[in-house]
Amino acid sequence: MNTRDADPGRGNGERGSPGAPAAGVMSKLVSRVRFTAMQARVGVLVLLCVFFTIRSPFFFTSTNLVNVLVNGAVIGIIGSAMTLLLVARQVDVSVGSAIGFAGAVFAVIARDYGMAWGVVGAIAAAMAIAGINAVAIIKFRVNSILTTLATLVAFRGASKLVMDGRAVRVEGFRFLGRTRFEVGGIEIPVAVIVLLLVVAVFYVLMRLTKYGQQMYAIGANPQAARLAGIPLERQVGIAFVLTGATVALASMIVVSQVGAVSPTTGERMEFLALTGVIVGGASLYGGRGSVIGTLVAILILAVLDNGLVLLQVQSFWQEVSRGVLLLGAVVFDQLGRREAEVRMDV
Amino acid sequence: MTYVTVPDAPLLEIRGLSKHYGTIRALDDVSFSLDRDEIVGLLGDNGAGKSTLVKCLSGAVIPTAGEVYLHGDRKVFSTPAEARDEGIETVYQQLALVDIFDIPANFYLGREVVRDGWRGMLGILNRRLMRKRARAAVEALPARFPNLDADIETMSGGQRQVVAISRAGFWGGRLLLLDEPTAALGVKEAAAVLEMIGAMVSSTETDMAMIVISHNMEHVWSICTRLLILRQGRLVADLPKSETTRQEVVAHITGATA
Repeated sequence: MNTRDADPGRGNGERGSPGAPAAGVMSKLVSRVRFTAMQARVGVLVLLCVFFTIRSPFFFTSTNLVNVLVNGAVIGIIGSAMTLLLVARQVDVSVGSAIGFAGAVFAVIARDYGMAWGVVGAIAAAMAIAGINAVAIIKFRVNSILTTLATLVAFRGASKLVMDGRAVRVEGFRFLGRTRFEVGGIEIPVAVIVLLLVVAVFYVLMRLTKYGQQMYAIGANPQAARLAGIPLERQVGIAFVLTGATVALASMIVVSQVGAVSPTTGERMEFLALTGVIVGGASLYGGRGSVIGTLVAILILAVLDNGLVLLQVQSFWQEVSRGVLLLGAVVFDQLGRREAEVRMDV
Repeated sequence: MTYVTVPDAPLLEIRGLSKHYGTIRALDDVSFSLDRDEIVGLLGDNGAGKSTLVKCLSGAVIPTAGEVYLHGDRKVFSTPAEARDEGIETVYQQLALVDIFDIPANFYLGREVVRDGWRGMLGILNRRLMRKRARAAVEALPARFPNLDADIETMSGGQRQVVAISRAGFWGGRLLLLDEPTAALGVKEAAAVLEMIGAMVSSTETDMAMIVISHNMEHVWSICTRLLILRQGRLVADLPKSETTRQEVVAHITGATA
């Protein structure tokens, strides 16, 4: 890559005026809109917490709040990778089946050959699915929704094949799912620590690195990215591999938490993660989204689920509320988009 | 940056360049050469092959046949990055800017600078350095420049074009290719962009040439020294501006030769 320095000496002595003031005002407006979107998310989270605290004596206890985090951990881990994919205008809906398949491979190998080989098997299984997705999308240029829809279906079946259609117990694998560290009198589960680490890694990757910057460029304007010499295929491929890594991690946490793998393990997790990512501010049109937004959104969803259970609301309302949130977020996104288009005409 | 040069060889020479899409000859056996400090207007009707020619030079399209020489040195570009490494900068008609980025991020698109040491190994961006250099370059430009921190999506068409052209100038190089720099611009904005292009070339100290593509002859006429005219993929005329008239150029473009 060319790293030639710019030559600031070029150009004559005439100075440009210090920028059009209108553009400055508008950019502030834009950043304010983004800021309020994030504020809105945090506000909703706080309001929900306040509401459930008032309505239930069990909500605002350390045990319950830790439970909320644990329930959000697995979705948050795959949601982080999903955010990166959406930023680059890609999506992976196969993650639920991938978690099921990696978990099944883990359980069967762990049963027959021991835990260490089980871990290797789970990683290999998750990476194999990521590889199939990446090759189909990059080499054969198949749309990522269609590709991963196919692997979603295929690997749900494959995991049933691996397990012979029956649940497989996994004994003695406690660390990722059930071990807790005591920090200041509160027991923090390993899964929550893993979640925070994964979010931190994706935050740095997306906000501070060349790779992250190029992924936003790919999502916002793929043609410009290509003309600028950004290796689209390679960067997108890396994102699918990273998704595979989070799937491997998530599958082991799930297996460890439950102590068994069933033919339905991981089912619908792709929708929960995608819901979180979209509510978190990412757009299917690419170029937008942040892992912090995703984390807050997944906490909103986890608090909602938890609070509704505590209030003994019929569980069907959980699904309804999730759908309403998703719809609200998408409408909000569309409103912001229209505003941006109007601004462009000025 | 210095490049390998062969004495007395033209800055750019093209021999027998062709690009065929199936039976369609988008570009057919085009040859010409270009010296330093030349601003050449590349004219032609829609579909005459102007954009194809530029894309062949910028590495975005791989020619079916023909050779490209820079300072007498044969070059083959299979990607835009390879062409850029040889000092060929392109401003595309469809504005290859990323809307959601500000000016420094767009200047360094695909060429992001990372920090020194372990942070660089992790690919951590050096935003401050990129911003500093972009600011220095922007302040040296004659154009009225939009706010450095504003995202491109808040800018007008003319401002975007100014940013795109100054990005090409920022990276300097030997050959600047401008594809319809004034298309979709109002009269005032087009004038500002043309003024900037003129100032940019006259102020360069290095050996540099520019090819400006347009189907608007008036725009090209005001800044270029020579005119190349394409029709149906073929180079039909190569005229110094001083030796031709607008009527003659129009006749060549439309094929209504007198």
